[in-house]
Amino acid sequence: MSRWVSTMVWLLVLVAFAALGSITDDERLMTLAIQTFIFAALASSWNVLGGFAGQVSLGHAAFFGLGALITRELWLGEMALPLAIVIALAVTAAVAAAVGLPMLRFRGIYFSVGTLALGVAVWITAGNVWPGISSLPADALREYEFTGPYYVALGVVAVVVAVSMWLKRSKLGLGMMAVREDEEAASATGVSALAYKMIAFVISAVLAALAGAAFAFFSVSYYPQFPFSVVWTFEAITIVFVGGVGTIVGPLVGSVFFVVGRDMLSSTFPEIQVLTFGVLFIVVVLLLPGGFVEAGQRLFKLVSRGGADQKAKTGIRPGEREGKEKT
Amino acid sequence: MTQLVLQSAVSGLLVGGMYGLVALGLALAFGVLKVLNVAHGELVMLGGYAAFLIFTERGIDPLLSMPLVFVVLAFIGVVLYQLLFRFVVRFDIEKRIKNSLLISFGLVLILQAIAVLLFTGDDRSIVTGYSSAAWVVGMVRIPWVRLSGLVVAVIAAVALEWLLTRTTFGHAVRGTAEDWSLASLAGVDVRRVYMIAFAISAGLAGLAGSMVSLGYSVNPTIGLGWTLKALVVIVLAGLGSMRGIVLAGMLLGLIEGLASVWVGGPYRGVVALVVFLVVLSFRPQGLFGRGGAYV
Amino acid sequence: MTRHKLWVLLAVIALIIAACGGNEDTSDTTGAATSTTEGVTETTEGATATTGAPMEAPEAVYFGAVVPQTGAFAGGGAQVVRGYTYAVDAINEAGGVYVEEFDATLPIELILRDDESDPNKTTSVMEELAGENIAVYLGGFGSPVHAAGTAVAEKNQIPYLGVATALQALHEQGYQYYFSPFPKSPDIAVSVYEMLNGLLPEGERPLRVGIFQETTDWGEELGALWVEEAANHGYEVVLHEKYAPGSEDFTDIILAAQAADVEALFSLPTPPDGFNIYKQMGELGWKPPFSLVVRAADVPTWNDLGDAGDGAMLSAGWHWALGFEGIDAINERHIAEEGRPADPIVGGSYALVQIVVDAIGRAGTLDHQALRDAIAATDMDTVVGPITFREDGTAPIENPLMQRQAGSVVLVWPVVEGEGAGDILYPAN
Repeated sequence: MSRWVSTMVWLLVLVAFAALGSITDDERLMTLAIQTFIFAALASSWNVLGGFAGQVSLGHAAFFGLGALITRELWLGEMALPLAIVIALAVTAAVAAAVGLPMLRFRGIYFSVGTLALGVAVWITAGNVWPGISSLPADALREYEFTGPYYVALGVVAVVVAVSMWLKRSKLGLGMMAVREDEEAASATGVSALAYKMIAFVISAVLAALAGAAFAFFSVSYYPQFPFSVVWTFEAITIVFVGGVGTIVGPLVGSVFFVVGRDMLSSTFPEIQVLTFGVLFIVVVLLLPGGFVEAGQRLFKLVSRGGADQKAKTGIRPGEREGKEKT
Repeated sequence: MTQLVLQSAVSGLLVGGMYGLVALGLALAFGVLKVLNVAHGELVMLGGYAAFLIFTERGIDPLLSMPLVFVVLAFIGVVLYQLLFRFVVRFDIEKRIKNSLLISFGLVLILQAIAVLLFTGDDRSIVTGYSSAAWVVGMVRIPWVRLSGLVVAVIAAVALEWLLTRTTFGHAVRGTAEDWSLASLAGVDVRRVYMIAFAISAGLAGLAGSMVSLGYSVNPTIGLGWTLKALVVIVLAGLGSMRGIVLAGMLLGLIEGLASVWVGGPYRGVVALVVFLVVLSFRPQGLFGRGGAYV
Repeated sequence: MTRHKLWVLLAVIALIIAACGGNEDTSDTTGAATSTTEGVTETTEGATATTGAPMEAPEAVYFGAVVPQTGAFAGGGAQVVRGYTYAVDAINEAGGVYVEEFDATLPIELILRDDESDPNKTTSVMEELAGENIAVYLGGFGSPVHAAGTAVAEKNQIPYLGVATALQALHEQGYQYYFSPFPKSPDIAVSVYEMLNGLLPEGERPLRVGIFQETTDWGEELGALWVEEAANHGYEVVLHEKYAPGSEDFTDIILAAQAADVEALFSLPTPPDGFNIYKQMGELGWKPPFSLVVRAADVPTWNDLGDAGDGAMLSAGWHWALGFEGIDAINERHIAEEGRPADPIVGGSYALVQIVVDAIGRAGTLDHQALRDAIAATDMDTVVGPITFREDGTAPIENPLMQRQAGSVVLVWPVVEGEGAGDILYPAN
């Protein structure tokens, strides 16, 4: 029953955002929203590998960039956007499968630094092979509207969240989390750790590429090397941890904090916005080590009546108490 | 052509000495505190500015002002430890690495912004009387400035080795790195050890910064590039190995130098990274390390 | 599940708050003079509102300037800012600019933003500025930021004027809103050969040309043109090496240049590469008799190199010794505030403000479309000389070449008399 409630809530939120896209004309709001969606999708995609499967990849931007690159090249070359995206995802899946196999033999910090090395190598190569800026043609620019990119970005983040949710509740997800908790123990019980890590790696990569496609469709002009930059990886990881790693809502909340927070800072403190954001960010990390989601959960425990937990232990059924929290 | 190859190799080895010097500090912080400080490059940057300012304001050569720069950066290290990293070392290793990664990411933003406010965004560099001087050995030129970077790296590595193996403090550090709860039981003041180790790590970054200012140039954004190089060097050397750091750095530099000749300048970085990955797959514990990439 | 719901609702609330914050900025646009928040497909109505009663005037005429004040291009960016500031101050001191549609003389306010030398920040900052009722965009320093910025200007259909970029490709996109009265790659390529042939007698010319080409769009563009023009002027390209910007070590290309006996070295390095190249040339003991480092030697910090930096040639688009009207006033202020005559990029950016003010006068309105048309029809004298615009947004303009000599920037081409100009220091090694 609660699963239906939660699904309804998510759908409601989706409809609300979709409506927002048609109602508003405010370009600044739409830009913020699109950026938030893209970050949310990218962060959620990292969360699949890093949060569910526990493998901290520092080369994630390589797939974001790849998705953006292929989508942009094909779409600007007169191909229909949906087809371009499908091809981008397929290529990314193939590349991720090829790369994941050798990479996932490493563990812990070796995996992290290894993926970092790979990510930087890809970034350098992208910059050398595609040095020229990618701008929309002049007439497309003059006719540019935010509505299309808004819905694409919204659709992308909806898909990514849906996949994450499905994954988390599936046996596949369970296997990943088992590997995350204790790889040796999982292997001992017959779970093929490598298989689960590979699946997480590929799914994570494909979702990142999807976020990249949204970026490519939204951006007016950028250098193709840009989405490959390691800064995207760092920002995605930041968002996931600040929001709450391993949760579904965490990356979403984190991306709102990140995008909206930085924007508000840049209007209020234009000279020292980076400095202020850095300080704010550290404060959040120190005070809320489990991220916003965990903080929120603790807050609820405090706010809901003190005896609630005790009463639960004495066996009163959940439905009997009004407004009682359910997991 | 041979001159090109030899000179590129020599230049690469010298640059690699710099990589090793930068990596030393980060290796110490990671090895002892198990803290991943991605703001290490920013500490190098601050060291570079410190050396630059001492040079332009007081006319003191960077090779001579190094002890002062070390002290200044060590002090900054103490401050950063007390303000930030002290809270991170409470956690277990996994959480420590992740939290320190996040905190140091915030630190990157802060230190870069402060540097811009204090020093402007311009590139600065130290040019001395001997900046163009070089030893000529056969076909090869060994510029003094580059050589000094390597020499400082070697001296620092040797000094660090001595500190870690021959002093009581060093034993306390190694014990703490090994198992901090046991060390604590044995009477080691773990918090003090951490603080001093971090301070030394920052001081080493300062030395590296001096050499960067002398051999290259410094501006507020150079940090991340050096941090990336340091991470690769540390893993290449093998986690837990201090001795191999400078050698691993030199090897990385050598590969880059030769890659320039045979593959072309724009891809020297790529080749080095790919070679690094290949080495890691065949020798997961790093070139000189114990423990493994598979563990 | 309700917990999660609350989180997402909180997020939506946050977005809405941001929206309200955003709306406040855009709700005080006055009159119909500029509509920047509506759908960009509509061109603004009333191209010239010269008939009827004057509309309510805004407080000032706003210029939105996005300039690198930090990052790789910060040194050049500082010069751009100076140019804009000096010009705006000069106009305001003289009373401001008269806008006919309001029948009022308004001060100019320069809204200055930093894009951190990052083309991606350029686009986002420019989008922010679009909501601030600006009349025009003023660009920054460096081809990458211009390449990104001009697309945004075109999308928002707001005129964009910039100097400190020579990327010809930007003018071949069909942009209608981009104006850049600054020498472009073809001008630079031709001018350096013409200068060498003009200043040096036949037997002494550095005929063996070497090119250090960075793997960027402008690098490829200008590199190709240098090769093409070499043949037209009697020079031979003996070396054409590529490198990625941001490399620390240039040993291989410097040695290759030495081995090829390069006499004229051409490069356009992103800072600080030019600086590092020169340093390493010194370490390796090689310096060619002629060396053009576009972008690198423009900034005062080149003097950190000392003697080793002497002889470096610049192609920065302008020099105060050209003696156009208005330069003396600029120099007066520059010497008082910076201790030396105007830096190369100051002139070009100053001229941009002159052009916009002149266009406002002719258009009589701040409407973007009308302003664009007025700018396109420019025909005036500025501190960089007489300016008219071609259809593609470029202007016929001579490319002066300067050289670093004993710590200052000396104009060597075209040959003029007077202070600040001088003979070329050749050979430079």
